[in-house]
Amino acid sequence: MCGISGIVHSENIGRNLFNSIRNLEYRGYDSCGIAMLRQGTIDLRKNIGGIDDVNSKEQLDQMQGRIGIAHTRWATHGGVTQENAHPHLSTNRKFAVVHNGIISNYKELRESLQSKGVIFDSLTDTEVFVNLLEESFADCNDLEQSFLAALQQIEGSFSIVMLSAHDPEHLYCVKQESPLLLGLGEGCNYVGSDLNAFLEYTRQAIVLDDGEYVVLGQDDYQIRQVQTRDTIGKSVLNIDWDVETSKKGGYSHYMLKEIFDEPQTIRQAMKIPAGQISGIAEMFVNAPRSYLIGVGTTYYVASISQYYFSILADCFYPSLSSDEFTVVKIESGDMAFAFSQSGETYDTKTALEYAKDHGAQTAAVVNVMGSAISMMVDQVIMQGSGPEICVVSTKAALAQTFIMIRVALELGLMQTRISRKEYEKHQLDLEEFPEMVKKVLNEQSGFVRNIARATSHVENWLFLGCGVYYPVAMESALKMKEVTYQHAEGMPAGFLKHGTLSMVEPALHSLFFVPPPEEKELHDRTLIAMEQVKTRGGTAIALMFQGDKRAHAVVDQSIELPPVSILLAPLMQMIVAQMFSYYAALELGRNIDKPRNLAKSVTVG
Amino acid sequence: MKAIILAANRSSRLSPFIETRCKPMIRIAGQYILENTICYLKEAGIHDIILVVNHQQELIRQFFGSGQELGMNLEYVVQEELQGIGHALSLCRSFLDKKPFLLVYGDVLTDYNPFLPILQTYTEMDREVALIALPESSKEFGNVYLDHEMKISRLIEKPEANQANYVFAGLYVLFPKIFDLLKEHQNDISRCYEQMIETSGLQACLWEKGWVDMIHPWHILGANRMLMSSWKMAEIDNSAKLLGHVHLEGSVRIGANVTIESGTILKGPCYIGSNSYVGNNALIRNYSAIGPDSIVGYGSELKNCVLFGKNDIGRLSFVGDSVMGEGASSGPGLITVNHTVDYTPVTCESDSGSVETGLVKLGAFVGDNVAIGARHVLGPGAILKHGRIIPDSTTIC
Repeated sequence: MCGISGIVHSENIGRNLFNSIRNLEYRGYDSCGIAMLRQGTIDLRKNIGGIDDVNSKEQLDQMQGRIGIAHTRWATHGGVTQENAHPHLSTNRKFAVVHNGIISNYKELRESLQSKGVIFDSLTDTEVFVNLLEESFADCNDLEQSFLAALQQIEGSFSIVMLSAHDPEHLYCVKQESPLLLGLGEGCNYVGSDLNAFLEYTRQAIVLDDGEYVVLGQDDYQIRQVQTRDTIGKSVLNIDWDVETSKKGGYSHYMLKEIFDEPQTIRQAMKIPAGQISGIAEMFVNAPRSYLIGVGTTYYVASISQYYFSILADCFYPSLSSDEFTVVKIESGDMAFAFSQSGETYDTKTALEYAKDHGAQTAAVVNVMGSAISMMVDQVIMQGSGPEICVVSTKAALAQTFIMIRVALELGLMQTRISRKEYEKHQLDLEEFPEMVKKVLNEQSGFVRNIARATSHVENWLFLGCGVYYPVAMESALKMKEVTYQHAEGMPAGFLKHGTLSMVEPALHSLFFVPPPEEKELHDRTLIAMEQVKTRGGTAIALMFQGDKRAHAVVDQSIELPPVSILLAPLMQMIVAQMFSYYAALELGRNIDKPRNLAKSVTVG
Repeated sequence: MKAIILAANRSSRLSPFIETRCKPMIRIAGQYILENTICYLKEAGIHDIILVVNHQQELIRQFFGSGQELGMNLEYVVQEELQGIGHALSLCRSFLDKKPFLLVYGDVLTDYNPFLPILQTYTEMDREVALIALPESSKEFGNVYLDHEMKISRLIEKPEANQANYVFAGLYVLFPKIFDLLKEHQNDISRCYEQMIETSGLQACLWEKGWVDMIHPWHILGANRMLMSSWKMAEIDNSAKLLGHVHLEGSVRIGANVTIESGTILKGPCYIGSNSYVGNNALIRNYSAIGPDSIVGYGSELKNCVLFGKNDIGRLSFVGDSVMGEGASSGPGLITVNHTVDYTPVTCESDSGSVETGLVKLGAFVGDNVAIGARHVLGPGAILKHGRIIPDSTTIC
C-alpha cells in the first residue's frame, strides 16, 4: 500500500505536495519523500517515519518549486530505510521517479545495468526503472520516447510518475494494473494513486486505464496508449464524494476494515523474527522483577499477557495502568514492558521515563515506526499491523496480545515449563489462527449483528469471564463503552456474587465469555455465575463455542463460535466482542471511527 | 457509464401479486421499486439504461417509456425465454460500448443511494466491484467470503443452514470481459463470478444501510417500513384538502388532490397517494402506504399496510400488517386479523406449501382486483388470488 502524488502548477507547490501525501498517509507511513524541480536541479528529500515526523527532519513543507512528485510508503517487504524510500533518483540526478506496484523482471534488468557500470543505492525495483530512463535518454535525447522505451522493457503491475530536469513543464505518468488518476485544476494539474491525493484542490478527475500514459503540464495533458501512441479522449468526472469515505476501500467504517484486517495483522505478527521474541523473553528471565504497563486498551492487553505468562511460563508479572505506575518502587535491573499503538502515549512514556530514571530496563511493543516510545526503550518489537485509523483500537491490540503469547511460549520453553513438543503444537495453533479468524469474521458476522441489533437499546452491561477471559471481558467492555457510549463493566465472573448481583434484573444484560468446555474448571465457574444471573431474572448472553450444551441450556441468546485451540480461544472471543460493539454502535448511529471526546493517541497528561 | 437493469424475472413466491406485475413494478411507500432505482441512478450521474424485460413488460414500458420525462435514456431488451441472469446479461452485449458498466438486479430495494459507494469503490480500486449486504439470514442468497482488502475470496451459492454471512446485494460494476466469460461458462453467472474471483479479483463494497430483496409477499411490508423509516419530514401537496379538524403527526406524505375529512388522525410515517379520499374519523397509523386513487371509508383503521392503488376500503374496517393489490376493494366492515390467538408466529399457505414467516404480527395478502363483499374477516396469513370475488357475508336475504 503506497501513495503517489504529483503536481504541476504555476505557483510554488511545496505546501500542496506535502498536504497531498499527508492525505494519503492512511495508506501507510513507514517512510515518505518529495522530489521537486528547482532551477534545473532536482531537490530530493526523503526519510523513514510518519509524514509529520519526516517533515520535522527534512522540512518537506518548506520545499520550493512548481513541479514535483511525492510518495508515502508502508513496506510490505524489504527493509524500511532511507535509501529504500521513494522518490528514487537516476545516477546523474536528472530523473526522479515514484512508483506503486511491482516490476517483476527487475532482477535481470538490474544485472544488465550493473554490467554497464550503473551503481545502485537501494534494493528497490524502482531504482532500476529510473536508471533505464537515464540510459534511454542518452540514446535518443527525447524524453517521451525514452519514457516509452524504458516502459517497453519492464513487466509487472505498476503506476509510475516521472519528473525530469530535462523538461521542467511536464510530469510523465503511466498506469498498468495499479490505480492512477488525474486531477484537473485551473493553472495546475494533479496526478495521484487515489482521489485523496488531490481532492483538497480539485474535484475534476480522470480515471486512467491500463496501458495509458500521460504527459501532464500545468494547463494541458495528453493521454496516449503505450502500445500505439494513439491519443485517447477521456471523460472528466466531477467527484462529489467526501474525502473520508474514499479512504476505506469498500468498508463503511475504519473499525470494521481494521477488524477484517486482523487475519493479516496476525500473519505479520507471526513474521516477527524468533530472535527478537526470545530477546524479549531473556530480558524477562534476567530481570529480578518485571512489570507490564499500558493504558486504556493496552492496559488490558498487559492484563491478558499477565495471564498468558502465568499459564505458559509459570511467571507472574503484574500489569499496571501506566498512569498508576509510580506506585511501584522500581529498582535498578527491574524491567518495565510497555504496550502502545502510537508509541506516543503520554502516560506510558512518562511511566517508561520513571522506570529509566530508576535504572530499570525497558522494552515495548509498538505499531508506529520512529515513534517516541520505540526510540526510548532498550528493546522494541515493531508489530507491523499497518495504520490503525479508527480511534478505537482493534487490530493493534489483538496483534500485541498475539505477540505476547509468542513471548510467553518462548519464556515457557526457556524455563522448561512447557516441553518442546507442547511448544511446537502451540506454534502450529498460532499459524492456523489467521484462517480461523477469517472464517469466523465471515460466517458469524450476521449472527453477531442480529444480537447486537436486538440488544442495542441496553444501557447497562456486565461483561463476565474467568481466568484469562476476565481481562478479555474487561477489554471488551471498554470497547463497548468507547464506541456505543453505553455502560459496560468488565468483572471476574466469581466476583459477581460479592456485591454486584444486587443490580441484576431483566433490563441489566450480562455478556458471558464462556471458555471451551475442555477448560473444565473455568467453564464450571463461568456457568455458576451464569446461573446466578438467570435465577435472579437477569438476561444472559453468551460468547461460547459450538457444542457447549450446558451453556446453551442456560443462556437467553448465544453467539456460537467454531472450535479453536484452548490457547487462542480468548483471542477469538476478543475479536467477536469487537464486532459486537461495532454492530451495536452502528445500530445506535454512533460516530464509530471518532467517538465523542476521544482521540487516537493521547499525547497529553 | 451505462447501467443494465434486469427486470424480466418472474418470482413465483411473490404470489398473489406477481401474476399481474413484475417485481420491479411493486409499489413500495408510494413509489415503484424501479422508479426508485432509476432515481438513484440519475442522482449518481448515470443516464443511459438498458432494461431487460419479459414478464408483464407492458407495465414498465407504459410507465417509463423512453425515459425522456425523467431525463433518462432507456432502451429495452426482451428476454424471450427466462433462462437466468447470465442469459439476460448476454443479450445486452451489443448495447454496450467496450467500457465498464453497472449491472443492477431490478428487484433490489435500498433506503439510500447504493450507486454512490459502489462507483466510488470502482474508481478507487479500479477493478470489478460487487455490492454486498448482511441480511438476517443468508440462506437464500449467494454467500461471499472477504479477505482483509475486501476482495471476495470465495463464493458459496447455497450455504449450510447455520451461517450468517455477507451476500451479493444484486449490484455490480463489471467489465466487458464478462461476456467472454459468459460464453465460456454457458451463461452460468455464478461460474463467471467464481472465475473472476480466482483470476482478476472481485472487490466488495459493503452496504450497511437498509437492503431488501423481496422473496415472499410479507417482505413487501418490511421493505415499506425500511423506506418510510428513512423519511425525515412531512410533505403535503398544495392541492390536498384537509377538511375541518385533521390531526397529523410525524412524517406524513400526502399527494396531489387528496381529500381528508374531518376527525381523521394520521400518524407518520405514512403515505396517501394522489387523488385519494379518506372519510371522517379514520385512523391511519404508521407505516401505512395508500396508493393513488384510493378510498378509505368512514371510521376505518389502517396500520403497517401497503395498498397498491385504486383500492376501496369500506367504512368501519381494519387493515393491519397486510398488503392489498391494485384495484382490490372491500365492502364495509372488513377485518384483517393480524395475529394468532396465542401469538405464535404466523404460517402462510402458498402454492409451494406452507411457509413459516417467523412473524407474530401478520395480516392478509389480497391480489389485484379482488372484490370482498361486506363484513368479512380475513385470518392471519390469508392469501387471496387476484380477481377473486367474494360475495357479501349476508345473514338475512
